Amino acid sequence: MMPVIEARNISKNFGRFQALRNVSFSAAPGEVHALCGENGAGKSTLVKILTGVLQPDDGQTLIGGEVHGIADTQHAQALKIGYVSQELSIAPHLSVLDNVWLGCRGVPLLHRRNELRERARRALNLVGLAHLSLERRAGTLALGEQQLVEIARMMVRDVAVLFLDEPTATLSDREIECVFSAIRELRRNGKTMIYISHRLGEVMDLCDRVTILRNGENVISTDVADISRGKLVEHMLGRSLSEMYPQAGGMSSVGALEIRGLMVPGKIRGLDFAVPRGKILCLAGQMGSGATEAVRALAGLVHDATGSVVLDGMPLKLGSVHTLLERNMRFVSEDRAGEGLFLNLSVEENFAATQFDVVRRFGLLLPAPVRELAERLADIVTVNPDRLRSRCGDLSGGNQQKIAIGRCITPGSGILLMNEPTRGVDVGARAEIYALMRQLCDQGYAVVMTSTDLEEVVGLADMVLTMYRGARVSLYGRDEISASRILLDITHPLTYENAA
Amino acid sequence: MTSISRLIAEPIIRACVLFLFVALVFAVSAVFAGVVVDATTMFSVLQNFAMIGLVALGLGLTVLIGEFDLSVAGMFILGGCVAVIVGSNGPVFGLAVAVLIGIAGGIIQALLMIRLGLNSVAITLGGLLTFTGIAHVLTESKSVLFNDLSVALAMNVPVLGVFSLRSLITIACFLAGGVLITYTRIGRDIVATGSNRHAARVAGVSTSHMLVGVFAVSGALAALSGALLSFGLSAASPTGLSNVMIPAIAAVILGGGSLSGGVGHPIGIAAGVLVLAIVRSGLTVLGVSPSVHEIVTGALLLVVAILDGPALGERLYQFKSMVTLRVGSI
Repeated sequence: MMPVIEARNISKNFGRFQALRNVSFSAAPGEVHALCGENGAGKSTLVKILTGVLQPDDGQTLIGGEVHGIADTQHAQALKIGYVSQELSIAPHLSVLDNVWLGCRGVPLLHRRNELRERARRALNLVGLAHLSLERRAGTLALGEQQLVEIARMMVRDVAVLFLDEPTATLSDREIECVFSAIRELRRNGKTMIYISHRLGEVMDLCDRVTILRNGENVISTDVADISRGKLVEHMLGRSLSEMYPQAGGMSSVGALEIRGLMVPGKIRGLDFAVPRGKILCLAGQMGSGATEAVRALAGLVHDATGSVVLDGMPLKLGSVHTLLERNMRFVSEDRAGEGLFLNLSVEENFAATQFDVVRRFGLLLPAPVRELAERLADIVTVNPDRLRSRCGDLSGGNQQKIAIGRCITPGSGILLMNEPTRGVDVGARAEIYALMRQLCDQGYAVVMTSTDLEEVVGLADMVLTMYRGARVSLYGRDEISASRILLDITHPLTYENAA
Repeated sequence: MTSISRLIAEPIIRACVLFLFVALVFAVSAVFAGVVVDATTMFSVLQNFAMIGLVALGLGLTVLIGEFDLSVAGMFILGGCVAVIVGSNGPVFGLAVAVLIGIAGGIIQALLMIRLGLNSVAITLGGLLTFTGIAHVLTESKSVLFNDLSVALAMNVPVLGVFSLRSLITIACFLAGGVLITYTRIGRDIVATGSNRHAARVAGVSTSHMLVGVFAVSGALAALSGALLSFGLSAASPTGLSNVMIPAIAAVILGGGSLSGGVGHPIGIAAGVLVLAIVRSGLTVLGVSPSVHEIVTGALLLVVAILDGPALGERLYQFKSMVTLRVGSI
């Protein structure tokens, strides 16, 4: 059958980084086509090119068998290409009805309310929102309902090709079922859907074909019926682990941090774990698994978190950043610009920002002690001391991350909490950061981190706790860690157990 | 309580509540001061309404789309001066030129904002000073007179007892704005842009077109208002025109506009302007000193701001239980 949408030999660079290399992709009418790959494999770049958000550097896009550029998102809409993004795109002050029709080119200037209402009603019924009033303000809906309204938005536009970027990441089981039945209904109507998901169970259940990308290149395109789940995982990973990761040390396993019954309403349903000093514990899980939330809760940034935390045998109150600082428990955020560093201040000011107690002399903040501290920390984290006066935002992502870690180094060892320690960090600096983390552990630190980079989890962690939708799946020690087991755990453990 | 504050936010209900308040003011002044509102008072109220109304409408639309157009006050002055100077070749021509300058000013400011990714307050503050400065240059900082007195008479002749040409034009603009926001796709797109700009863009709304359009309308309305007032007075001056900025902002907030965008409606703004105009005229009729007017207006704004506060009911409840606890422990 003639593909309804096709990409031929697409290449795309961002600066020196090659996001896509000669990638081809095609989807036939009435097919649900899964697009799989690890983070950074090039999935979203390909989707952005096919929905007009980005232009390819090389290669062609074909619509209905003819070479056809996709100039921008408006043009994509005219070509009947729809896109439901991973982040929610609802106008909270508008009604459900207006959100369903938002941005649709087909709506006449003075709208005929009755016809619009009827068509919106039909689309909403299709996605399982029959109970929803059209007049309700969209901002008052649950997250899952908002996602379904976005899918309904695409349905009233009569799209031929619909891209769904992790549509189930934030949804409950019942809501996922609604999305699935909507997708099946659309498939019956001959629509093509490209389904991007990390949840392999969903791919196996729902999709007809699957295309796997890795490092910006095609790996395989095949019918889902012809491939096993294990093979799928193998194709997604497909590489041997390099020499990036330092040797694990042999520190004593004295209990340092013990967590019992950690709960965050709607995010985490009771989590227990303990980390000894000298070890790196990685909480592994996809978006919505609660892994990131768990670290944020420990860092005192989630106000409704409950649970008992014991540090070195003494209980620790959750939710107070001040107490954490006193007890040498520090958080390195994945969002450096937003909550990690003061990008407009100098490097040395950033180093000193959390250690005023150390650099204060007679209650005053004098330049000499600040500089002294900054020089000492820069030496530990291998930041060039010539750059101490530079604006922090002018440094590379890797150097910024080193500063963020350096800021947490205190006299006496502590606990390091890290989300995505190498996000936005290039390969060279990555290895240095791994070495730094290991070095701190050897000095008696304990690290609790999260990562969605599977390779990093396997290469770096001493212990891996896999999570799926707010609960723990299993805990692996150093010798039991394997990429495929982790991937199966965090993608869809229930289907996995059923299959096994 | 929360449901009440949510209800107050609905534009039509808000307008009704404000009009009820107005009726109350009239009733109180009739009973206690024996002042009966006659056609003359109402006429002057509507003249005031016309002056602030168009400026507030333009400003309100920019607030609705999540921006803030400070330059309306400057465009109001510039529009008045240009209309009188150019209007010697025919008042309609003068009016048209003033409005065109308003549109051009709005478009230029919006493009600067979009292209350079700048905040509207900074850009329009620059616009405010620039437009006022141009008015000073054009008039050499003196008032300019308009010789054709028949135009002023036509502007101020009462129609149907209480209306004038100016107030009728203003009412027509508000009605058109109301239809635009409630019944057209563009209106929904404007609200969506103010509500969540990124989401609107993802959904396919051309948010930059909306911004340019809204600022063009805002500039045009401010210039129109200034031109109509100047024709009515047969004179324009870069300094002599009363300050419309603060009343216009007050009217937008009274009328339910939220400075974070996505909330507000022309009918609500109209109600806000009317309430301000009536409070002002009512106090004058009652013989209250003008300096007290500001206090009353300020108090009114404070009350509305508190009623508009998020989760008002919850806070009142917390406050109540806190007080009960204290009292209980004593």
